[in-house]
Amino acid sequence: MSIIRAKELVHEYIRRDEEGNVEGIQVALDHVNLNVEPGQFISILGHNGSGKSTFAKHINALLTPSEGTLFVDGMNTSDDEFTFAVRQTAGMVFQNPDNQIISSVVDEDVAFGPENIGVPTEEIIKRVEKSLKMVGMYKYKSHSPNKLSGGQKQRVAIAGVMAMEPKCIILDEPTAMLDPDGRKDVLQAVHTLNKEKGITVILITHYMEEVVDSDYVFVMEKGKVFMEGKPREIFKDVDLLKAHSLDVPQVTLLAHELRKAGLPLPECVLTRKELVEALKEIKNSLPAKPQASGNYSSEDKPSKAKKDNVLILDHVSYKYSPDTAYEVKALDDVSLAIKEGEFIGIIGHTGSGKSTLVQQLNGLIKATDGSIYYRGQDIYDKDYDIKELRTQVGMVFQYPEHQLFETTVFKDVQFGPKNQGLDEKEQIKRAYEALGLVGLPEEFYLASPFELSGGQKRRAAIAGVIAMKPAVLILDEPTAGLDPKGRDDILGLISDMHNKRGDTVILVSHSMEDVANYVDRIIVMDGGKPVFDGTPKQVFAHYKELEAMGLAAPQVTYVMNDLKQEGFAVEVDATTVEEAKNDILKALC
Amino acid sequence: MLREITLGQYYPAESVLHSLDPRVKLFSTLVFIITLFSANNIILFAFVVITLFGIIKLSHVPFSFMVKGLRSIIVLLLIAGIFNLFLTPGRTLFSIGALSISDVGLKNAALMTSRMVLLIIGTSIMTLTTTPNQLTDGLEKSLGFMKRFKVPVHEISMMMSIALRFIPILIEETDKIMKAQMARGADFETGGLIKKAKNMVPLLVPLFVSAFRRANDLSFAMEARCYNGGDGRTKMRPLKYSSLDQRAYICIVAYIIVFYVAKGLL
Repeated sequence: MSIIRAKELVHEYIRRDEEGNVEGIQVALDHVNLNVEPGQFISILGHNGSGKSTFAKHINALLTPSEGTLFVDGMNTSDDEFTFAVRQTAGMVFQNPDNQIISSVVDEDVAFGPENIGVPTEEIIKRVEKSLKMVGMYKYKSHSPNKLSGGQKQRVAIAGVMAMEPKCIILDEPTAMLDPDGRKDVLQAVHTLNKEKGITVILITHYMEEVVDSDYVFVMEKGKVFMEGKPREIFKDVDLLKAHSLDVPQVTLLAHELRKAGLPLPECVLTRKELVEALKEIKNSLPAKPQASGNYSSEDKPSKAKKDNVLILDHVSYKYSPDTAYEVKALDDVSLAIKEGEFIGIIGHTGSGKSTLVQQLNGLIKATDGSIYYRGQDIYDKDYDIKELRTQVGMVFQYPEHQLFETTVFKDVQFGPKNQGLDEKEQIKRAYEALGLVGLPEEFYLASPFELSGGQKRRAAIAGVIAMKPAVLILDEPTAGLDPKGRDDILGLISDMHNKRGDTVILVSHSMEDVANYVDRIIVMDGGKPVFDGTPKQVFAHYKELEAMGLAAPQVTYVMNDLKQEGFAVEVDATTVEEAKNDILKALC
Repeated sequence: MLREITLGQYYPAESVLHSLDPRVKLFSTLVFIITLFSANNIILFAFVVITLFGIIKLSHVPFSFMVKGLRSIIVLLLIAGIFNLFLTPGRTLFSIGALSISDVGLKNAALMTSRMVLLIIGTSIMTLTTTPNQLTDGLEKSLGFMKRFKVPVHEISMMMSIALRFIPILIEETDKIMKAQMARGADFETGGLIKKAKNMVPLLVPLFVSAFRRANDLSFAMEARCYNGGDGRTKMRPLKYSSLDQRAYICIVAYIIVFYVAKGLL
């Protein structure tokens, strides 16, 4: 018997005005039919707004169908009598780790579910211990959740669900707000539950790499299931996925491109190993070809005409809560020079000091040691105008949409120029320009910022900083929490602005693949220090060390290194799919 | 800047006080407050103070840590002290211009400020040695009898524990939004009172929006885990009295008897 069976499931969000009249109906789920067998690992893919989260809330009876039916383990979710039984059978983990932990101590939080359903005390203690051990968080049982990383919090949330002994667990974008390390840990925990405990898993995500290992995949769009099948069947149709702006794992994409270029590769390649094996076979079947003289130098762009330094950090250190027991050295003797017009990526895992570093650059936090120079002037000088510096060095924080506050988008964007003391006319001009640059449609200018969609809000927030016309623009994780399309849009936008206006741009990220395609220089932070600093190619050459730091080089870097080891005459420094494709073709033909 | 508030924070340590049942601590704090305000002469007052210092010693919380907590209310203390000092009628001791200090005023001011300081130190011992969760559990259980009068005791204690969980998160968020607005040229420091209040809008609006969003998420998360009010709930750590708690109660009763006998005699 199926554990989850949706029949013609429809959900409509009805918006009402103040008198309670229906203002509009939004169809979030449109006749969804779907079956899940016990013990399966299911993934549901789709953009933001495709209806996948609405569907998840149905499985947990947090929402009930407008039309059609949904059965969870044989229970109809529309029937109030079963509500609690359904929630016990199908537990749910949400996206934001902070907003689903109820208690201030880890083990008490895990106990929350069993307490609610009236499990006896001794049994609760046993279940809490077991669940925490399952996700590898037992040693943190007396910690405060506030002291844990995002990945650890998510694992606590999973333990909280497991303590209710469900048959099925639904995870609604559990990794969207995590760094690569956290993502890996959470996914591993979920896979273990599925394999060892036979728990049915429904993983909702927009990361394609997370889908590869599942038994079955549903792709949703506009409230409908528009593709379903085994991962291999889904990823076969790369062009269709791309047409719907869904991401494809880099390896699959590379294989697809090579196939298009005429190599006889199998139809769908999911893993690195498969690709390398397939390419090896092709190579062996080809007549031996004289080795090209293997040492053509990597063709780095000749460094542009020497430019002036715009920002210089001279032996900068920073400590949180200095001289107390909680002292943390966030930056450790950092010296850096940033040149006019550079496009820099700063990469590091959470806690590596990357965010602290960029907040030094506009004087938001003051270094405990060392000095910082902007265009040759010491920003810590007594008579230095720090407010002026903040307009010169613009800073877009992580989740910048959380800072929107005005009644209209336009007014919000005007806020920066207004603080700069510009006259009304100039403020308006700046706001227009900035909103135009971020590509927000004009119909939204006078809307409340809280009515926009996630991606639009972010654009509006970025415009709020650009409107100040900073010479240096810093963006802290500008793509966090966006779906692949939103991510590509924002990165494209930043890159465009850089090309058009020639500003200095600093992009802080923990995603190598994001950064590799756009920047000229990468600075890798670890333990409060820059450990690598160079072009993407130079930095990714250290892919093994990067991995040890909890950072991953782009997948293609790994492929190229594997191929090189197998005796292919390829360069190992490809960082994008395009480069890798050309390199492989050159080596083979 | 917001992280420096130490008033009422839990201080992890191992001591007799830390391992007491929260109900004992709640009761003893109440007894302490009543005796502090009914101590009407210097000997009784000294008795209360000495007992308090004995308890501080037992708590294993550094005294300096408690004093640090007082810093945030120093203005309040000064105002209370000054008002009592200058505005109490009585025999004038000396005067500066229109202001005069009377003997009663001096006595009242001294008594008032020292009582307030002791009150805060006394109650902070409770919060310093009790985790927020124990505290809310203790309150829920001690006030359980009020359920009969339709007071939603469970709901109130649940709200308290959720508030305690989210205070640090919202403090961090405030810090972040503040920095983000400062990066857009906002000014939270200069200007008069009205201008300052107006400047808080870019901070407060996003903060409220975020708090509501979190509340919405949290309510879903609680429902998903079968939360359905206090009925039929069990506890992982139900409150149970130990022999230590019994001894503590005996000490408290002894303290009350000594205090009131002494008060009757003096």
